[in-house]
Parts: sequence; C-alpha cells; structure tokens
Amino acid sequence: MTGKPIIEVENVTFRFGQVEAVKDVSLAVGEAAIFGLLGSDGAGKSTLLRMMATMIPPGTGRITLGGLDAVADRRKVKRLIGYMPQRFGLYSDLTVDENLAFFMDVFGIPSRERKARRERYLGFSNLLSFAERPAGMLSGGMKQKLGLACVLVHEPRILILDEPTNGVDPVSRQEFWEILLEMKRTGMTIVVSTAYLDEGEKCDRLALMHRATLLAEGSPGEIRSSFVNLEEAMIRRIEERDGAQGHDNPQR
Amino acid sequence: MLIHPRNVQAVARKEFYHIVRDYRSLYMAFALPLVLILLFGYALSLDVDNVKVVVVDHDRTDLSRDFASRLDASAYFRLVATLPDDRAAAAWLDAGRATIALIIPPRWTEAIRSNREAPLQVLIDASDPNIGSISRGYINSFVERYNRRLLADFLDRQGLENLHPPVEGRVRVWFNEELESRNFIVPGIIAVIIMIVGAMLTSLVIAREYENGTMETIRSLPINAFEFLTGKAIPYFLIGMTDVLAALLMGQLLFGVVMKGSFWLMILASSLYLSVALGLGLFISIAAKSQLVANQIALLVSYLPALLLSDFVFPVENMPRILQAVTCVVPATYYIDILNGLFLRNVGIGYLWPSYLVLLAMFAVGAAAAVVKMRKEGL
Repeated sequence: MTGKPIIEVENVTFRFGQVEAVKDVSLAVGEAAIFGLLGSDGAGKSTLLRMMATMIPPGTGRITLGGLDAVADRRKVKRLIGYMPQRFGLYSDLTVDENLAFFMDVFGIPSRERKARRERYLGFSNLLSFAERPAGMLSGGMKQKLGLACVLVHEPRILILDEPTNGVDPVSRQEFWEILLEMKRTGMTIVVSTAYLDEGEKCDRLALMHRATLLAEGSPGEIRSSFVNLEEAMIRRIEERDGAQGHDNPQR
Repeated sequence: MLIHPRNVQAVARKEFYHIVRDYRSLYMAFALPLVLILLFGYALSLDVDNVKVVVVDHDRTDLSRDFASRLDASAYFRLVATLPDDRAAAAWLDAGRATIALIIPPRWTEAIRSNREAPLQVLIDASDPNIGSISRGYINSFVERYNRRLLADFLDRQGLENLHPPVEGRVRVWFNEELESRNFIVPGIIAVIIMIVGAMLTSLVIAREYENGTMETIRSLPINAFEFLTGKAIPYFLIGMTDVLAALLMGQLLFGVVMKGSFWLMILASSLYLSVALGLGLFISIAAKSQLVANQIALLVSYLPALLLSDFVFPVENMPRILQAVTCVVPATYYIDILNGLFLRNVGIGYLWPSYLVLLAMFAVGAAAAVVKMRKEGL
C-alpha cells in the first residue's frame, strides 16, 4: 500500500430487510491512488460506495474518511469527497455552465477562482464548446464527463465513482480515465467501481466483491496471479468460492 | 444545524433558472393570476341590477302606464316587453327571457281611486334563488316607494303636505357603502392567487427532484434540509409578492377597489400567508415525491379550501357546523379576515393581531414539518 490509508472501512455490514447487501467488509484505501471495486451485478459494490459517500449509514461497523466518521461528521465528510452515483442526476434544463456553477456555489468557490476552475474542468472533459447547451441535450458520454467535472470542481481529496463509464462509448471511456489518472497525479484518492476489466488494470489496488463479501484484495498483478488475465482470474475465484459453499451445503 | 447563506443562494439561483426555463411554471406564476383577477372580478359579480321585467297591463290607464315607465326608469329594472296576456308573460318566464312578470289587473286605477285594495300580481323566476330573492326585495321596495308617492300626492291635494309617516328607517351601509361585491372579491382573489403560486407551484419542486433523480445529487452535497427548502422557497416568495402587488394594482385600476388600511400591514399579512402556502406546498412535495400526485393533493388541500371554505365565495355562517370547524384550519380564512379589515373597515393591528398570530403559528408548524420531513429523507 502506498502511504497511510485515507479511507478505512471496518467490519461494515448493511442489510435491506432480509437481504444482506454488504457483509462484514473491511478494507483500507491508500492516499493518492486509484482503488478499483470489481464484482458482478448485485455483489454489493454500490451499497458499499454509498456508505463511503455518507449516503446511507452502515448497519454495523465504522467508516472513516480522512480521519472523519462517515456518520457523525457527515457534513464535513461531504466537503472532503466528490461522489458520483451510478445514475448521476444533473439538471437537464440547466446548461452545462449552470450545472457547474451550482456545484461551485454550493462549495463556495471564490469568484476569483471560478473562471480558472471552469476552464480547467470543462476543458478536461472537452465540454467548453458545449457550455451553453442544456445538459439534457448532451450524449451519454458527455453527460458522464459533465458529472465528473461537477464533482471535481471543488477539488475533493477523495473521489467516489459508481460505475461511471457504464454504457459509455470507448473513446469517451478512454478520455474519462485519462482525467482520473491526471487527478491521481495531483494527489487525489479515487475509489471507482467498474464492470470493465481493462479499467481494473489501470487501478493501483483492486478489491473483488462477491455475494456481499470481499473475496480478494490486492494489486491487479496479485489478483491476476497465475491466470492469463483479470477476467479469467475473477471468474475462477468466484467459482472457487461458490464451489466451496456448495460443499458446505448438506443438501448438495 | 449550521446554516450557510451561500447554500441557500445556490439553491435559489438554480430554482430561478428552472422557473425561467419552464414556460408552464411562468404561465402559472404570472399569467394565471391575471386571468383569475379578470375572471373573478368581472364574472363573479354577486350584484344584481337590470332585472328584466315584462308587463301585462290589463288596466291601460295613465296611472298604470306611469307605474311601468317609472319601473323602467329605475336602475334596478329594465322593461323588456309589454305583453297582451298572462299566458305570454308566463311564456317569457319559462323561456328565461324575463325574471319578473308584472300583471296589472283590470280596473286597478279605479280600485286605487276608490280607496279599495289594489292588488298587483308579481311573478318572479327564482330558479337562481340569489337573484330571485334580491329581485323580490327590489320590487317590494319599489312598490313601497310608489305607494308613498301616491300618498304624498293625495296629502298634497288635501293641503296636508307636512304630514309624514311615523317611522322611517334611516339605513346607512358601513364599510362597503355601495354594497359592491367587488370590494370583497379582490381580497378573496388575492388569497386564491397566493395559494396557487405558493402551494400549487411549490408542490412540484421537490417531487421534480425525486422524479429526475437529482435528489440523490442534492443528498451527496453539503446542503442541509433548511438551506435546501429555504432556497427552493425564495423564488416563489418573490413571485408571490409580485402577484400580490399586481393584483392590488389591477383591483384599483380595473375595479376601483382602493385599500383603505395600511399598505405595510397588508404586505406583512401577505408575506405570512404566502409563507404558510410555501411550507404547505413543499411539505406535500416531499411527502408525495411525484409531481402528479403532489399537484392533486395541493389542489385539494390548498387551492379549493382557499376558494370555497374561506368566507370568499360562500359565507361561513351558512355552512354546517362541521364545515365551519374546518374553516378554522384554512389559512385563507384568517388572511381574508385581515384583508377585509384593511380593505373595507380600515382597522389596524389592534383588531387584526389574532389573525396575524394564527398565520404565524401555521407558518411555524408547516415549515417545521417540511424541514423535519426533508431531514428524514436523508438531507
């Protein structure tokens, strides 16, 4: 792990009624790194990210970000992080500029800095020439990049992204990751869930979630280990775990 | 709970953009109130004048013709036809072409001259009971006055011009001297308009955030429930107050309704009442989370009571007990009470403070409920 952990998740559990969405997960995320969360649909990735982003309180266990408790210091944590949910709600009747201005307003970006930030983050995402366009008229990829610009504009220490490139075309996906790598160089910590394993390769650390639990954690190399690629490694590990559970079950 | 004014400002500015972009909400905010003033001001006139009268004159004397022509000359009646027989008169009433049929019997003048009873048949169409009873009052007092004139003529001729009837009521109408219904319709319209802008429009604003998935975005930002709701309310507060001033001005220009009381007491009352409406609308919006449902609920609990249960269209005294009790929790009741005091009676805070206090209490309860509800939703 590079540096001391900035996010610590300790024995966190969350249940929706009878269903356990996250089961006794512990992990630590180092500073200025990209931490990838892999796993099949319904593995509990979104729930875990939502807890990290203070959107829902953990059922049991504890999450700290930058030394602040995600429940007790919720409002302070929110200033520290930028969180982009799976379906990021932008105001479709507001223009690109107005959406960005709203986020700058809320985070109290001083007026002398606003112009520079606008050019930096809209420039990053190639949206400067669409600044006057209503957000609802943007393509899917552009919407995601605008979402990213909005959560980046207050320059958070921690960025939490829930499948940000889902359904985005390959070129936009590429551009999106270039921005993330650039932000990492500025010292930002990024937690991102993804279904694309080529994106997993770009992360510094990976965690593999399956059926609400953490299956494996390590560098992409460690997760891959002796398998040909990340995909193969992931499938094998999941099969291994499911098989072991099968043996424990007397009815099988 | 710490309050950052800049968060309030951020939300207010964003909300302002939403309103400007959405022509439907602009229409609701500005055009609809104007249409309502015109509609209510001109159509909902509760005054009755120019009652249509047909006359069947079986007497055909100077006196009977004089009676009919004086009737026509009065501002309250209009002689639309002189008919040959009673059946024709009944036909005019049936067809709704006349409200009153006046039948002067044969030898009517003769009866008067010989000091016998001289009956006059008056048929009134009371299918609209309001117009019917007002018409009856008009015709009674017209006949009364005509009698007095005949009597005075008679006494004159007898050289007894100094003789007067023993009792004569000197009726003086206070507060609304011309008994014009417009004078209390204008306050009522203002109360309805404020409910439309305050509660109907704001009932959409939080529900819209839920429907568009932007509530999740708001929840991820360091904004608290109070800042969010206050920011949402501010643009609608400004629109509402603009509408109040526009309504006041139109009432004055179009209907000549001039407020007699203090302008600032009126502004204070309107601000309070508008705030009650905003709190109500926002609460409904948070609870319903769907624009369609929220709008229906807002229509039912804000707009309709303001119109029907507030002493505006229907007098509260005539309602059954249960409805009278309901009117006690309708904010418009207190607002209209204040406005009537300011518009017509020219009374000050000394008389009106209880209504102000009730509105303040309603605002406090509504706003607190909205903030608590919003916090429960995780903001």
